[in-house]
Amino acid sequence: MNLRRLGCAVIAIGLLIAGLHERVMAFPVDGDQTTLPAKTELNEDALARPREVFHSEILGGKSELVRLGNLAFSSPSILGDVAQRAGISCETCHVNGAGNAKFFMPKMSTRPGNFDTTGALFNPKADNGALDPVRIPSLRGARYLAPYGADGRMASLRDFVHNVIVNEFAGPEPQPAILDAIVAYIQDIDFLPNQSLGPGGRLVGKISESERRGEALFSKPFPHDANMSCATCHIPSAAFVDHTQHDVGSGGLFKTPTLRNADFNAPYFHDGRFDTYDQVVAHFDRVFELGLTAQDQKDLVAYLTAVGDGLQPYEYDGAGATLKEISDFAVLLGTAIPAGDKEVVSLAVDTIGGELRELTEHYPDRKDTSVPGGEQERAAARAGLKEVVLLLRRIDMAVGEGRTSDAAADYQTYRSLMLAAVPSLLGSAQRWSLFNAAVHDRHYEALRQTMQSKHMSQ
Amino acid sequence: MIGKRVALSLLLALACARTAAAAALDDAAERYRPYAIEGIGSALAGARDLRERVAAKDLAGARKAWLSARAGWERSEVFTAGFVPELDALIDAWPNANSGFHAIEAKLFGTGQIDVEGDTDTLIKNLDELHTRLRDMPLSPQGLLDGTVRLAYEVGESKADGGESRISGTSLADMQNNVSGVEFAYRTVFADRLREADAGLADSVTKHIEQLKTVVKAPDLPHVDVRALRRSSEELVVSLQAASAKLGLRRSTLEAQSR
Repeated sequence: MNLRRLGCAVIAIGLLIAGLHERVMAFPVDGDQTTLPAKTELNEDALARPREVFHSEILGGKSELVRLGNLAFSSPSILGDVAQRAGISCETCHVNGAGNAKFFMPKMSTRPGNFDTTGALFNPKADNGALDPVRIPSLRGARYLAPYGADGRMASLRDFVHNVIVNEFAGPEPQPAILDAIVAYIQDIDFLPNQSLGPGGRLVGKISESERRGEALFSKPFPHDANMSCATCHIPSAAFVDHTQHDVGSGGLFKTPTLRNADFNAPYFHDGRFDTYDQVVAHFDRVFELGLTAQDQKDLVAYLTAVGDGLQPYEYDGAGATLKEISDFAVLLGTAIPAGDKEVVSLAVDTIGGELRELTEHYPDRKDTSVPGGEQERAAARAGLKEVVLLLRRIDMAVGEGRTSDAAADYQTYRSLMLAAVPSLLGSAQRWSLFNAAVHDRHYEALRQTMQSKHMSQ
Repeated sequence: MIGKRVALSLLLALACARTAAAAALDDAAERYRPYAIEGIGSALAGARDLRERVAAKDLAGARKAWLSARAGWERSEVFTAGFVPELDALIDAWPNANSGFHAIEAKLFGTGQIDVEGDTDTLIKNLDELHTRLRDMPLSPQGLLDGTVRLAYEVGESKADGGESRISGTSLADMQNNVSGVEFAYRTVFADRLREADAGLADSVTKHIEQLKTVVKAPDLPHVDVRALRRSSEELVVSLQAASAKLGLRRSTLEAQSR
């Protein structure tokens, strides 16, 4: 899923909340400070998204279970009514399994990147009566990072996922197979490789002097407690965690977060109160009276930055990336159709169809006069994508009516279209699509100008 | 030789049947014309009222007139994109609203400004041209089916971001008017003929239209069940595409320029 859906979801939730409070809410397309804080991802299509690395792909290929988990993770239909209406899925917060520093939901966030999982909006029964949002964590390397939850309250990832679906988002009781699949998917998401990290979590290769000094400081005993150092909790040989909760002066007991790939996991601390490593290091220096010099602090930040790095953290969010994801999901139809598995077919059709409809909007129609040229190519791309949406719906209808051979025939047609014809149509229209930065900017500039008129009146 | 005669007779019979069916649909399409004229006429009347309200510096009245004009337009979208694409783009451009409905909407409902004389004059001119052309414009059954199918699909698109008419907040009304337009076109032009050809399929189309109407009856846009909206929209389109062969028409494509 790209970030556009996130923007739509946030706006939809904004509209919902506005409805609840009977007031008009400005459409936040330009990040108006009166509406949403800066850095919030709005409805502009981002041209890059976090890169997702799967452990099983290194081993030879994703299992059907992981594919099903990824599908369910991307589907609003496993969550409750409010989330479904807003088009929110697990993926909305955990984009490609990473975190989401730009996520902001009015009344549910205090800053971009955090979210109150015990607020009233999605499940009134889960409401604890306090606005206490927690940082949206990255799920990279989650299999190494038990216990789960910012406060580490759950030892089992399966229990944690179940709680998110049923309690936090008021979803129906998930089928055990779906729950297993989501857990398998999350456990398959690897850390991004970091060539600076060697065995035991030691820095290797071309390391700067500052990083070296920072690495030494990281393991240096605290002045007032010789049994403690940064590395006592962030154990370098154990993905920089100790699977334990601590009070680090932030208002309670919270589990040790990993430092792997943490360069891309801001904001920091359980509630996302800090934007930078500098702020984090300054906090520890103050709370634990470490007596760090300015240079020490710089060295620690340099070390954290080296440890928290990752190879190719973002990838270009072109049509190819979406088609690849869709292709992964569609593989499930190959087994679900002959088995007459209505639930999986519907889940796949709804999720893939939603992705395809989103993709269609990247090829503006004729009425979008901010996009000059390529009218025929854009129309052909839109038509092709719409046809495959309808093919999928035919499959869903056929399986629902027990006509699995009709569904199988349509699936073959779908596959052949998605193999060559659709990618070709999209390729031909690419230069006039929102994947082209110049077209993207013109389109959103036009939208911004139109929408700013609304802000001005409020 | 006898076989050839039989084949020719059969072909002739089929051709005559096709002609009869086509003629029946042509007549039905003609019955749609007054509705098309009325829809655009309503939009035009709203636009003219808007011009008067603007001249009187009556912002509340201007907004009301804009909403009225918009409703007439949305009911007419079955044929506007397919039959008059150039006017459609001028009247309903989005998001760069330099002219047309959305340019006026941005000012009236956005900034609360009422200096929209020029834009309204242009809108009236374009709607008037369309209204005039509708009197003798060929209205083919194929074009009307294509427009019905395309609009039914478009209704299923997510309006989670507020939809096209997000400034005035009328995107849900747009959807309801779109569905009314779809239903009217189907019932006026295609329903009888399809019922003769395939009663089961006709029932299916009617069922999906009713489902779509139920979904867009939500109290406000955020309460539209997006999943049900998409599902009923797509199932309706699938049924209408299946109906095209039964009606002796080509299967509708989803974009006007892409055939």
